[in-house]
Amino acid sequence: MVEKRTFVFVILATIVWASLASAFAGYYYLQNMNNSEQLNSAQSSLNKVASNYSQAADKYDLLLSEYALLDGNYSYFMGSNYAILMPPLRSLIANFAKNYTSLLTQEDMNKSYQQLLSDHATLLQKGNITRGDFGSLLSEYYNLFNLSAIRELGLSISKSTTLSVNVVIDYGNGTAEWHNETIVTSGYTLFRLTQEIAVIESSYFAYLEPGHIRIDSINGKTTTANYTNPSYSWGYSWIWYYWNDNDKRWVSGPVGCDAWLLKDGGIYKWNYEYWHFP
Amino acid sequence: MSTRKLAFLIILTALCLALQIVPRPPNVEFTSFFSFIMGLTEGAVVGALFGSFVMLTNGFLSPYGFGGLNIPFQIAGMIIAGVLGGVYRRFTRDLSFSASFSLETAVLGAIIALIYDLITNLGYGLQLILAGEGAALALFTAMAYGSFFSLMHIVSNTVIFGVLFLPITNALNSLKVGESLWSKKERLYS
Repeated sequence: MVEKRTFVFVILATIVWASLASAFAGYYYLQNMNNSEQLNSAQSSLNKVASNYSQAADKYDLLLSEYALLDGNYSYFMGSNYAILMPPLRSLIANFAKNYTSLLTQEDMNKSYQQLLSDHATLLQKGNITRGDFGSLLSEYYNLFNLSAIRELGLSISKSTTLSVNVVIDYGNGTAEWHNETIVTSGYTLFRLTQEIAVIESSYFAYLEPGHIRIDSINGKTTTANYTNPSYSWGYSWIWYYWNDNDKRWVSGPVGCDAWLLKDGGIYKWNYEYWHFP
Repeated sequence: MSTRKLAFLIILTALCLALQIVPRPPNVEFTSFFSFIMGLTEGAVVGALFGSFVMLTNGFLSPYGFGGLNIPFQIAGMIIAGVLGGVYRRFTRDLSFSASFSLETAVLGAIIALIYDLITNLGYGLQLILAGEGAALALFTAMAYGSFFSLMHIVSNTVIFGVLFLPITNALNSLKVGESLWSKKERLYS
């Protein structure tokens, strides 16, 4: 028969095992949730890239068809004055401008577009337009059109993989420094972002989890701690917060700043604040 | 408490504090072991006082930094270790080496580590709640993220209690047995 004492210790050992197993199950569940969230975010980003690409390709194909039609007319034109092809070219340029409006706000693109319009107007005034004149204008349009298509594709991809975030550094003396619409790539942590927008000093703690970094100084403002009295300690530290849009309030960062992934449109705060214990 | 016992307590406290403050792998500690031993040899109250004092000091001087809001929870964890030593005292048979006895102390080391970790994780969970996290999620997160540290703590405590318990308690008993002889010798000089 099993001794009562043995029985008690077997139960205690089982409790240890069960508690550890439950904690690990919880840990993997949390990790799984985090991973799923990040996978969903990555998938959504990919879907956005695919959708943007599809739209850009449709637009490109449509304008290219119109161009091909005009190019065909130009190639097989039997006359000597190409002025008759000028209105279709103007219409093509107008369609182009309508489809790439956002790109034409870029300075270099806008200059090329204005140059195209100007060349078109100059040629139109000539009256008699030779094959060479029209050909070079058509090429000018085609170059601008291709450059726009490539640039739009690049922009649509980068928009899907970059995040725009806002950060405020509150020095605790009435000075708050905002870094609005800071662009970072997805996967950036608050720590990496802070490194880029400010001069910081930090310490690494292997035992801290999640996140191992503690910020010791931002732009020369250093944390302080006073432990000289064993029963009372106080100091100033850099504490980070994120803006909870649902509750409309700042929430203290629950993990280290190097473990917190930034989200698009997120608002973050570094606050230099007083603490004491007890 | 006699001066001799007090001196003995102070020496053990100093040793324990030194071990606690020396840089070491996270959650590998000897305080719970010594608190338990003190509870076993000197009673639950002394064990609890020993553990609480060491953790209070550790909270301010630890190589891992200021303990902050977790200090009261660390103290509570070590008080329980000391009290459990006092409770175990009532049920201890003759201290003689055997595999089953070592196994028994190893299990005790594991359960003390588990209780301590549950309490300190609760402390971390409360900090998350104070920071604005929902209560259930905060406690669950604290327990879950602490699991790796708990594993390290439980394994190290199991080894420490399983291996060191018997030789240390035997040494302390020998010290106590010799106490009367030293006292007599001392009287010659007084």
